[in-house]
Amino acid sequence: MRTVIDSKKPAWITLAVALVFNTLLLSAQSSKHFDTSFVRVWLLASLGPFEKLVDAGVEGVENIWSGYIDLIHIRRDNEKLLTENGRLRMEVSQNSEDALELARLRQLMELRATPIGKTVVARVIGKDPSQGGQNMTIDKGTKSGIGRDTTIITSDGVVGRVIFTSDYFSVVQLIIDSQSAVGFIVRSSRRLGILKGTGRAELEMEYIDDDNDIKQGDELITSGQDQIYPKGIPLGVVLSVGPRQGNFKVVRIRPNVNFGRLEEVLCMTDHLPEVSTGQAP
Amino acid sequence: MHDGSSSRSVDGSGPVKERITTYGLVGKFALSLFAVVVIQGILAYRIRVFGYFDLPLILSIYYGFTLGRPVPSVIIGTSIGLLQDSLSGVPMGTNGFSKTLIGYLAATAGSKFDVDLPVTRAIAIFLFTVGDGFIISTLGLMTGSATNSVYNLFSNWLVTGVFNALLGMLMFGYHDRVTHAAS
Repeated sequence: MRTVIDSKKPAWITLAVALVFNTLLLSAQSSKHFDTSFVRVWLLASLGPFEKLVDAGVEGVENIWSGYIDLIHIRRDNEKLLTENGRLRMEVSQNSEDALELARLRQLMELRATPIGKTVVARVIGKDPSQGGQNMTIDKGTKSGIGRDTTIITSDGVVGRVIFTSDYFSVVQLIIDSQSAVGFIVRSSRRLGILKGTGRAELEMEYIDDDNDIKQGDELITSGQDQIYPKGIPLGVVLSVGPRQGNFKVVRIRPNVNFGRLEEVLCMTDHLPEVSTGQAP
Repeated sequence: MHDGSSSRSVDGSGPVKERITTYGLVGKFALSLFAVVVIQGILAYRIRVFGYFDLPLILSIYYGFTLGRPVPSVIIGTSIGLLQDSLSGVPMGTNGFSKTLIGYLAATAGSKFDVDLPVTRAIAIFLFTVGDGFIISTLGLMTGSATNSVYNLFSNWLVTGVFNALLGMLMFGYHDRVTHAAS
């Protein structure tokens, strides 16, 4: 090691070797002739435990603060929550009646329910360390049944999909990442389309011309046509329908999920992406 | 990395001790690389403002300037870049390539120019940040993994450049204080 580092040979030889190594790695992934995923899996498996350990430490400090020190409004909040709990119990009772009715109607119309299937709860332990990237690391991997393209959701809606995974950790591409695209249906008009990540906290619709009925406040759900995200999961709300830029209009979407506040997520380990036929989810 | 002549002894324990010291130093470097990538990921997730910093880049420049030797700086740059790639969505080698070049240039600049002045360091970190962003975006375009608009990219580079320059000045200031206190 010392002989390499203290070598008297010109430093540009080391530089050239390092640059060639990185270039080969990049081109191997582009051409797909040689599988380099083991390098990433190995590095992810090495970094994951460190990330989980530091995250647990930070979480511990936060818990001490929120659980023992920051309890000023706890009594008032408790009363408010009890009232809300009573109201929600009544709503749940009403909703279970509605759900039963919906199941009967589905049976009558011979429609299948949206297949959510088996899920695994995972904890977010870190964010993309690169500039501009919108990915995150979760503490579950192949040992928990997670694989490439596993859909990640919360109760609010779609979070993203798994792009790399090791035994115990996975990297998730958020739907707001500039590389991400999701098929959608407008809940009211049943219009189909593609949502694209922007790298910021918003999404944009692609290929929307003047001849469309999309309006501010429209709710969007997944269409299932991308063969990755199952049909019927909430995506977001139309924020604005802008003027035409080039051939198409700029339509901005606010995602349902608050990506700045993600702690636990659900990984859909067992589902069949249902291709939409334009019917209700 | 270490002057082995001082640790050699008559009983033959010198080379062993020297090897342990060398491995210890390499271990410390490796640990600091792992730590900085992990800390960047966790802080960017917990505290939103940390998303504007690029700690791995600052560390590459820091080692380049303080070591002033291109070979270890290139090795550090490549390693930290690949670690960063493994937790990102970009193809492996993107940050590796960029940080390798930055490490080499920082070490060359550190050995040839006077980078002791805080203003010089701040300007250098800013320029290296913009250079890093440019290389990563160019590689992204070549591999088909970059889709951000030019305006977004440019504004990101500028904001991150300013944040990195400020944090870099603090880090170098701390390094100077420790070095002076030790001497």
